Amino acid sequence: MNRLANQDSLAGNDSKFSFALIFQLLRRCWPFYKPQLKHLIAFSAFAFFMALVVLVPTLIGTDLIENKVLLGEPLEPLQSDLLFLDETYTAQVENETNTLSREQRVVVRDRLIFWGFFYVLLLIISVSVAWYYSIWIFQRINQDLRVHLLAKLERLSLRYHAMSQTGDSVYRVYQDTAAITRVLENLITTPLRIIFFLGFSTAILGAFSPSLVFLILFAAVPITILLKVYTPKIRVAARLSRELNSLLTSNIQETLSVIRVVKANGAEKEMMKRFQYGSTAALEAAYSLRKYMSILTIGVSTISVATVILAEYLIVGWALEGKATFLGAAIAVVGFAVWNLGAFKAAVARGEEAADSTRQLAEVWSTAQDTLIGLSRSFELLDSDVEVEDAKSPKPFPQSLDGVAFRNLVFSYSETKKVLSGINFSASPGSITAVVGGTGSGKSTLMSLLLRLYDPEEGSIEINGINIRDLSVTDLRNNIAIALQQNELFAMTVKENIVYGQSRISDIDIVEACRIACAHEFISALPRGYDTELGERGGKLSTGQKQRISIARAVVRSTPILILDEPTASLDAETERKVIENLARWGKERIVFIITHRLSTIRSADQIILIHEGNISESGTHDELMNNQGPYRDFVDAELGLRAKN
Amino acid sequence: MVHAQRYDDRVDLDVELSFYQTLALLGRSVFLLSQVKLLFFWKLIFSSVAILPPLAVPWLLKIVVDQVILQAPIEGTVARWPPFMIPLIRYVEGLSPIDVMASVTAVYLLMLIFFGMRAAGQIADLPRGYDAATQSEQALSYGESSTGGLWGLIEVLLSIKLTQKLANGLRTELMGRLTRLNMTTLDEQRIGDSVYRVMYDAPMLPEICFKLAISPVMILIGAVLSVLMIGYSYGEVLPEIVWIASALLPVTLVMTLPLSALARRLNQISRAAGATTTNAMEQSIDNIAAVQALNVAQSESKAFEEKSAESFRRHRFAAVIDLAVYAISYTSIFIGVGFAFYIMTERVVEGTVSPGDYAVLLALFFTLGFAARDLGLYWIQLQKNVSAIRRVFFFIDFTSEADRGGDSLRSLNKDIVLESVNFSYSEDVPVLKDINLKFGLNEVVAIVGPTGAGKSTLAYVLPGYIRPNTGTIKFDNQDVSNVPVNQIREKVTYVFQEHMLFSESIRSNLLLAKPDATEEDLLSACKMAGATDFLEDLPQGLDTNVGKSGDTLSVGQKQRLSIARGILRDTPVLILDEPTAALDPKTENMLVSGLRQFARNRLVIVIAHRLSTIKEADRIIFLDDGKVLDIGDHDTLMKNEQGQYRRFVELQTN
Repeated sequence: MNRLANQDSLAGNDSKFSFALIFQLLRRCWPFYKPQLKHLIAFSAFAFFMALVVLVPTLIGTDLIENKVLLGEPLEPLQSDLLFLDETYTAQVENETNTLSREQRVVVRDRLIFWGFFYVLLLIISVSVAWYYSIWIFQRINQDLRVHLLAKLERLSLRYHAMSQTGDSVYRVYQDTAAITRVLENLITTPLRIIFFLGFSTAILGAFSPSLVFLILFAAVPITILLKVYTPKIRVAARLSRELNSLLTSNIQETLSVIRVVKANGAEKEMMKRFQYGSTAALEAAYSLRKYMSILTIGVSTISVATVILAEYLIVGWALEGKATFLGAAIAVVGFAVWNLGAFKAAVARGEEAADSTRQLAEVWSTAQDTLIGLSRSFELLDSDVEVEDAKSPKPFPQSLDGVAFRNLVFSYSETKKVLSGINFSASPGSITAVVGGTGSGKSTLMSLLLRLYDPEEGSIEINGINIRDLSVTDLRNNIAIALQQNELFAMTVKENIVYGQSRISDIDIVEACRIACAHEFISALPRGYDTELGERGGKLSTGQKQRISIARAVVRSTPILILDEPTASLDAETERKVIENLARWGKERIVFIITHRLSTIRSADQIILIHEGNISESGTHDELMNNQGPYRDFVDAELGLRAKN
Repeated sequence: MVHAQRYDDRVDLDVELSFYQTLALLGRSVFLLSQVKLLFFWKLIFSSVAILPPLAVPWLLKIVVDQVILQAPIEGTVARWPPFMIPLIRYVEGLSPIDVMASVTAVYLLMLIFFGMRAAGQIADLPRGYDAATQSEQALSYGESSTGGLWGLIEVLLSIKLTQKLANGLRTELMGRLTRLNMTTLDEQRIGDSVYRVMYDAPMLPEICFKLAISPVMILIGAVLSVLMIGYSYGEVLPEIVWIASALLPVTLVMTLPLSALARRLNQISRAAGATTTNAMEQSIDNIAAVQALNVAQSESKAFEEKSAESFRRHRFAAVIDLAVYAISYTSIFIGVGFAFYIMTERVVEGTVSPGDYAVLLALFFTLGFAARDLGLYWIQLQKNVSAIRRVFFFIDFTSEADRGGDSLRSLNKDIVLESVNFSYSEDVPVLKDINLKFGLNEVVAIVGPTGAGKSTLAYVLPGYIRPNTGTIKFDNQDVSNVPVNQIREKVTYVFQEHMLFSESIRSNLLLAKPDATEEDLLSACKMAGATDFLEDLPQGLDTNVGKSGDTLSVGQKQRLSIARGILRDTPVLILDEPTAALDPKTENMLVSGLRQFARNRLVIVIAHRLSTIKEADRIIFLDDGKVLDIGDHDTLMKNEQGQYRRFVELQTN
């Protein structure tokens, strides 16, 4: 777990809050929102309309129920129109004290129930539709970001992947991208809606009495202080929580992908200890994040409700005095000219709404911090340097091959140690080049450079004299097939593994490739032949079998250049001989590179490149080099055990 | 089976859940609460106390409306004050309206600070995404309280702890079981699926406990208290109201329950689709070298895109059920409340009930209505959790290596004997045929043979990675078929052909084998494995981080570290599967002589093709097509002109 300490991003600058950052993130999100723009607008318009639909009838309904039905006050003209009632229900100007009769109150109530029924029905249906619609929209946005992120991961160079963990990538693609669906909600729509409600409630309260507005402003001071104190804490906790969770995902993924080693070393207990450690750390981070959020929300909500309670006390005082409301006449439509029961309830309801809005604002504010962190983790990945980039206007891969040349190549993984330096050699069609050398001498790296899995620091690789950097990566890799040393197979069928990524390959070609790789025989003997599933990482096959499937996978692509990285290490001598013979026949017009230790394979090569500590120490044919009495000779002697057994 | 082919489940295929299975799973989940007794106890105390303050709030409102604003006498209506209100009533009786208001305000403020009354309850939850995985992530640390204020804060923190402890206990157990699955099962089981189960399925447990053992109980107590209170205060004047109130809950439940079977099904599918997406991503990124070298990045992205879209779609379908439950329960709530409204207003107009009473009743009715909605919703949401938790319990119950045993291993000093061992992975293809062998604890044995001869399989039998279909294995003449595998593996170390390292430092990779090894042990193991030379070149030596699956090292280097790890374990038996395949001859020679030295009083088994390695063995076992064809040392076997081994050697040396 000491890796944790090295992680550069760990809660670094997150404690500083800046609107610039938010703006920047929003701008980054825009391309993902844009395709859904018309849906987003439609949804927002609908939601806004719904908010109005809820607000206005509630306001009118409160007055009608409280003051008219319950207390028998006469209706305002507009109200009676809405309920299709005649003028006997409205206040007579000359006689202000008239009240509704019992029968009239019952009629008003019945019409309210009638309208209320439709109102609720409409509400339920439209809320359901809106809900489903919003899920649909936001899933599409999330999907888009996920796919972009994964596509980016697939393109990032192996250098990036060697230093990062699979679980972290999984976590970023899965959990961190989900934040994008909440950006609109947490940073724009919800705050806007809440601020709108807050403003609306405050305006109405102001119409009732300006003193109430002052009370609200007074409450804003401690709330601001709380926000200032807790926001940075929440941000730091959110970043930590996400990072620890992605570490845990890596932990699980890695343990399971090397489960054989765990078992072989009886290390299950040790692995569980690590798991528990990671799990507990992740949970503790999640806990403190939620703790800060709860303190903030409860604090804000307590302050704002206390304000409402105090306001209530003031209002009751005014109601007892029968004081006129501030804009009495102007808000007479809804009928609150004087402080009375209805006005009290309406004002308190607005106050409670304002308090609730404030609480929601605090809640959204704190979750927005987490959203921002999640999103910035997604974009960190999206922004990382692909390293191996296509040329601006790539040249096409040459039709017929003249040769591959390596010129003054220099390469290193890290600054401290050169892996390859001063590599110069060339290979021509119809030849087999054996790349030989001690373990760790840089043989596999050399071949990775040809595929542009990395780019060299100095020097170039040229095909027909064209620098491979001037070709498109896709084009280049489509023309080079490789059988990797660590036979990376997928949990699919044999056939799917062989045609992997290629579309039009006939069954005849597959069988032919398998014959060349000496794999046809054992595949046919599998329970379901070519349709047998290989299990996780091809776990059901022996290493030699996997190796041959890898070779078949390279051969079937029928490319002008073929690279075999230790293709025969796990094959017995007879199979090996057959495979190499087949390959030599098949590779007549092609350029074949073989990395190997096997003497029998090396002998059959047209050219041998011996690499020692990143430099070419010798090159030539087997016979030439044997006569040299140089390092190659030593290598061969050691292989034959001529020196070891004295 | 349609399901299994569509998604990535290979081991767990039966995904239908009957009603009784659901009940059993629920019962089992709730039983897990016994692991967190203390926290559960406190959570119960806090939630039950939290039921009480809300009951008083409507009555305070009644005082404000009737006694303060309308200035009616306290005994002015037919309603009976509930007993807990009596002290306050006594206190305010006779005060001026504004003084009554002052008292009520004081009570309000106290209740706000301590219980957050009139503010909403507190939920500690982050926004959830739009698929099952992101939602589970949040469910893992969920906490809530129906109250706010100080009480609410404590309760929320308490419930987060409870949630986390429950979920962590379960996911740890699941992870433990997954690592102990049989090797053959592990080959089938997809890694992404396992990640999904541990990270996203297990966290669904606490909700089951909350939604079964805490929330409904509290809601029911609250509802019963509300109904009783309505009956006590208004039973004589408004008997119908009491009936409606008591009917609200059962009627809503009956209307939503039929949806539960569908909910279960849709959620199972949603999770399987999610796990498939995880697989697509995990496999593709973990094998990135192959993906890039074969130039299939685009088609991989495309495959992921389809799987991810499918998982979103499935989640959306499951969400429709939630929607339906909301719609149905709101409808029934509004019908109930509307009916009550009708009766109450009737009485207010008659003058038998005051506007304050109306306020009290309406508040109580909404509380009851929401209780009914939540109960209905809980049951439906429980189906979601059950779907997840089934996926967890499936592997907790699945046969694992840890289940074997009873006997304990007596000793391993002399020899290991295999008697008529037969084995096959699938029924019709035998891999080992009638193997009879004896290995002594002071020899180096090479297992040799063509690819696919069954060499690795034979070696797998010794540490119990696989169990023979028939035949016995004896350690010092003791049949070990009933000995726990961890006891066997304490004696046998296996170094695999694929060299798997963790993305940690070299040191911690080595320490995995023997956590208490000294620096000296580490260095001498590395020396024996011929790893010292390149370790010296590394800038940070043993503390160098090896990168993902050891990607920053060459294959040969990884191989030697794997061997060093095996040597470090210091067990009586060491099995090396192709230890020298990726090594250059010089390194190979160093390693082989290191192994010879290590083999004193130990059994070292080497599976190899390389002649230089094989020659060094005391005994060579030549295997072909699952049968032992030749046994002996190199020179003896070479003398046999018809021997398979000799043919094999000649091919290599021409």
